[in-house]
Amino acid sequence: MRRPQVEFFSITLLAATLLVCTQFFGDSAGAQRRRTTNGPARQLKQRTATDYSRFSHSTRQHQVDCKSCHQAPSSNWQKVREFPDITDYPNHESCVRCHRQQFFRAAQPLICSVCHKKISPRDEARLNFPVATVAPEFKIIFPHDKHQDVIASLLSHPRRTGDFRTARYTKAAHAPDDKTKGYNNCSVCHTADTAAVDQPKGGWIDGYVPSTDTFMTAPENHASCFSCHWGRQEPVRNNCAGCHKLSNRADFGAAPPNRISIKFRHEGGGEKKNHIGECTTCHINITKVATLEGLKPDVPITSCSECHNKDGLRQDLNAELGAIDKNKDFKCSYCHTSNIGILDPPPSHTTVAGRPPLKRAGLK
Amino acid sequence: MILKRSEVLVRIFAVQLLALLALVVIGQSPSGPQANARGVIRLRVRVKVGDSTKGLSRKRFFLIRGSLTENKSLIEALEEQPVVSRDCYYQGIGASPELIAWLKQNDCESVYCREVEQKDIEGGGAVPEFQRAVAAGEKQFGSRELARKWLSVNLTDELRSGFYKRQQKDLQTLVKQAEELSKARVLSVMTDRNGTAYFTDLEPGTYVISNILSTEVGNSGVLWNCELKVKPGDLATETPFLISNNKDRNVKCVGVVKPLPACPTPKQ
Repeated sequence: MRRPQVEFFSITLLAATLLVCTQFFGDSAGAQRRRTTNGPARQLKQRTATDYSRFSHSTRQHQVDCKSCHQAPSSNWQKVREFPDITDYPNHESCVRCHRQQFFRAAQPLICSVCHKKISPRDEARLNFPVATVAPEFKIIFPHDKHQDVIASLLSHPRRTGDFRTARYTKAAHAPDDKTKGYNNCSVCHTADTAAVDQPKGGWIDGYVPSTDTFMTAPENHASCFSCHWGRQEPVRNNCAGCHKLSNRADFGAAPPNRISIKFRHEGGGEKKNHIGECTTCHINITKVATLEGLKPDVPITSCSECHNKDGLRQDLNAELGAIDKNKDFKCSYCHTSNIGILDPPPSHTTVAGRPPLKRAGLK
Repeated sequence: MILKRSEVLVRIFAVQLLALLALVVIGQSPSGPQANARGVIRLRVRVKVGDSTKGLSRKRFFLIRGSLTENKSLIEALEEQPVVSRDCYYQGIGASPELIAWLKQNDCESVYCREVEQKDIEGGGAVPEFQRAVAAGEKQFGSRELARKWLSVNLTDELRSGFYKRQQKDLQTLVKQAEELSKARVLSVMTDRNGTAYFTDLEPGTYVISNILSTEVGNSGVLWNCELKVKPGDLATETPFLISNNKDRNVKCVGVVKPLPACPTPKQ
């Protein structure tokens, strides 16, 4: 090889190596750089033109004791809720003590639009509280593990073992006894979602529209919190920071978890309505979870196969794995829509079926 | 041996090529240990009470790193831990017989366990503590129904969460001791209604499964300290690790059963 060529290749290779290194090791540094360059720019913008029509809890001066502005309960709670709650904006005093200048500026001070529908001294009407269109500024601290402990019972009485079908999602599944005692369990906060599911962008895959008993709800207000955490059991109603932490990161509730087995219905179980487990039977990690961050459903295939792939009962998993053996393009459809059903079955599925790993590409 | 300049460059080129290939290969491999090298324990707890054998529901079990021998001092401390039964606790704080009966009726450890019904606050079987709490709530919220639903907010601390807090205090002390001894985090899960619980994403090795504090089963307290091994990639899909208070051929570990101590004289 001639010298100029060798040098050229050497330099090219060196550059390629550096490029690869940057991709492997430079991500976090790059992200940090991006963050640090974004920060001052944003701050500068804020300094030059403060938009008083927008309120942010992250403003340093706004990070004071919550109860210095918010009353719990608000004076109007009986008009808007069935339980005492924080149902209204803070009083004028909370704003005026710092924003007197903005408050009395011109005939229509912009700052009024944070809470009021119209900027007019004759119109007191306020926006709905809290404003649904504003992105949440707080993440929620909720230890599932602690709450599971508190509501735990002693050994279930032999005659009453079946009573632990407490989670609302199993209520229908256990229809034979309507007099079942309502244990305080997951159903305190999570009930069957009776609202129609929003259609995703691009429409429903395979035209499959999940029924209303597919998903469960998550708390959207303080009802299930204040029933215990009102006056004495910390964090109490005035200790907002006990449950809410200022954060610009999307919380668990911000985006619904992606359901892989879209055809599973919490309140379902076929004609027999026979999804008989309680929540923790399938959501196996929930009793050890201390935070909502990174919360995953964690439902192992064994939760399904206990009934759906059992000798003498049902063979739903075996049937579909067998169908792939015969036709590598077979789409598993008992639990999944075709976007998932066309993929290779994961090892968990083949292991539970007592089979070696299955790769469609390896089939004829 | 003296190399020509062009030969040196060729060698540099070759070394760089190899380094680049190695980097690409490393980058494409999953970092750290493979996910399937970790294991799962599928714990099943069944207890015999009288003639009936059932799953032990809603009980927390802990996973401590190391063998029974390695955790010997901890196990001894667990075995010496005094047991305070639910009945003794509530009797001790002067709870009414009606409240103790209400808790017993559905095997509840606290008032949070189930909803207080209308019959629990009115009539012959009413619980005095509940009646007082509802009266206070009605005054506070202006609604008897809300006062019933939010009854716990008007109960005293020791009635509301005293038993739980007492247990937590003991548990936290013992868990801390376990973590110091085993030099690893103690994991915990709660059994479902069938008495099944999973410990997931475990490093292979030897562990002790323990309930740390004795569990009330009938008139006895049962303490489990069971050693088991987690193998790499053990997904526990077929055979659960069965523990019980009663010896059986499928049972891998039998707990130590002790009668519950008699309650001291209640507070007047």
